[in-house]
Amino acid sequence: MDVLIFIVSGTLAAATALIFAAMGELVAEKSGVLNLGIEGMMATGAAMGFVALSLSGSYTVGFLAAAVLGCLLSMIHAVLTLVFRADQTASGLAIGILGLGLSSAIGKRYEGRTVEGLPELDFGPLSDIPIIGPMFFQQDIMVYLSIVLIFVTWYVVTRTKLGLVIRAIGESPENAHALGLKVRLVRAGCVGFGGAMAGIGGAYMSTAYTPLWAEGMIAGRGWIVVALTVFGTWIVPRVAFGAYLFGSMSLLELSIQAFGWNIPSQAMSVMPYVVTIIMLAVISRNLAFIRLNSPASLGAVLKIS
Amino acid sequence: MQRRNIVLSFAAAATFALPAAADDPMKIGFVYPSPIADVGWSAELNAGRLAIEEAFGDKVETFFVENVPEGPDAARIINQMAAQGADMIMLGSFGYMNDGISLAERRPDLTFIHASGYLLADNFSNFQSRNYETSYLVGMAAADVTETDTVGIVAAFAIPEVVGMINGFTLGVQAVNPDVTVKVVWLNSWFDPPKAQESARALMAQDSDVIYSLYQDTPSVVTVAEEEGVWVINTSSDMKEYAPNWLLASQIADWSSFFVKSAQATMDGTFKGEAFWGGYADDTVDVKSWSSSISAETMAKIESAEAAMRAGEFHPLTGPIVDQDGTERLVAGEVIDDKSMSGIDWLVAGVETRIPQ
Repeated sequence: MDVLIFIVSGTLAAATALIFAAMGELVAEKSGVLNLGIEGMMATGAAMGFVALSLSGSYTVGFLAAAVLGCLLSMIHAVLTLVFRADQTASGLAIGILGLGLSSAIGKRYEGRTVEGLPELDFGPLSDIPIIGPMFFQQDIMVYLSIVLIFVTWYVVTRTKLGLVIRAIGESPENAHALGLKVRLVRAGCVGFGGAMAGIGGAYMSTAYTPLWAEGMIAGRGWIVVALTVFGTWIVPRVAFGAYLFGSMSLLELSIQAFGWNIPSQAMSVMPYVVTIIMLAVISRNLAFIRLNSPASLGAVLKIS
Repeated sequence: MQRRNIVLSFAAAATFALPAAADDPMKIGFVYPSPIADVGWSAELNAGRLAIEEAFGDKVETFFVENVPEGPDAARIINQMAAQGADMIMLGSFGYMNDGISLAERRPDLTFIHASGYLLADNFSNFQSRNYETSYLVGMAAADVTETDTVGIVAAFAIPEVVGMINGFTLGVQAVNPDVTVKVVWLNSWFDPPKAQESARALMAQDSDVIYSLYQDTPSVVTVAEEEGVWVINTSSDMKEYAPNWLLASQIADWSSFFVKSAQATMDGTFKGEAFWGGYADDTVDVKSWSSSISAETMAKIESAEAAMRAGEFHPLTGPIVDQDGTERLVAGEVIDDKSMSGIDWLVAGVETRIPQ
């Protein structure tokens, strides 16, 4: 039972950073801008959030600083791709590399330091319910905010005029432009939102999930986010499902190892990736549906004046 | 992207004037694979550099480059150090080996000491520590404090050094309490602090009340143990300040004596490439910050085992030893030889998890 509690409660926390970054990336990609710099933006957010928290003692300041810096970093991507019409793939990769370097510079003097982790919320009697309490009601606030973010993102993208505008621009920026929509402005906003969310996701890693700063601690999670967005076919609930699935599989892998079952641990280490990809591929196997949902202009150079 | 600082740090200069030395100070360059933090591998190597400065004063001048990725960057930096007139170069990572040895062949006038490799030349030594000795001692302490009779290990990769340490640890555990179960979670990654922390939690969820953090260069495992109130043992740096209440002990390696000896030999022109494998007998390994919660009886056992290893009278891997499959690896009284130890690929009986094949 302890193992089950560990996996369920751990999954909510493990998926939180992925969900913040993935919701941001989803919105950016829906508007037609691929940003492969997530890893770097998360790393920068992690370093910035950690340093800001260490200096100010306030988690709010930490997360805000991470969001602002992540947003600024993504703005470079926005300017390069939207104003100078740079290739999105190349620009995104450059931003990613820049972000990794920046994170190391920001965190230099804090290498290997720790902070107090973000405290759990107190739900009073709810937290004391056996099994359910430790699973769902002994988490920090960001875990719940990430769930709120899933609903808000889903609502805005699919049910509001703003969402319609974003999707229209992602589908055909030329037509949207002809209709008088502010393509560059909306895209820049979406990319900036993506950067800010990636920054917050990174800061969650360094101030709550593993409350320490060490260079390289994002360790590829930014790439998982990119993969989740694509394999989740840009549909909010699927991307969120993918994040939780990936989180739970990574924890299950470690639990199975600790059970001492005789399964090669390398095979176990790839399991989260394989299972997540297979699951998302299976639920998204309808090709026509994928074409309907994938932003048609994703990755293309902007062809408006 | 990897920023690196070339820092010239002159040997602590005496405040009162000394007559200038007849010739220039000997220059020693250090190449570290990661940033020098407060703790961790590079910090340990850097302590060896400081020991050289302390031992030789203004007769040496040391400089270092940190955070050097293995590969072309390392080659460039090593060659640059030689061009800057270094007399001796310390290479802090396995992957610097080939670049180091090719420079050593071209420049027989320089000396090299290289961490954890296996190549040797007349002017090229390698160095490692016998960490399994200290693993044995901390294993005894773990068996003493566990109440659930389950201890968990968070291990990076199943390389011989790590496997040897798990064996030493388990034998130490069994020397105090043969009924304790040892579990291992392999990370299959050298560096992933969040995953290390998840692994520690996974082990705790399965009753481990002592966690052995094997080669996690960050305080990831140590901090989660402190938070959860579970005993923790750390490798390669003392992390007492990160877990003031729950740190059981820290295994450390101290390169000072080997570094100083190598620098002295370079200075005297008597340097001879060797494979240095330092243990208690050479003052290279030690355990720091023993917890006061370890019983006096076990502590006495630990101290006598330590004394026996310092005197070279005891090896943790002394038969009879049976591996996980029940094969007898060492008969009663047989001591493992260094060659088998340095390539060890089997775990002793009592470890629940298998080696990834």
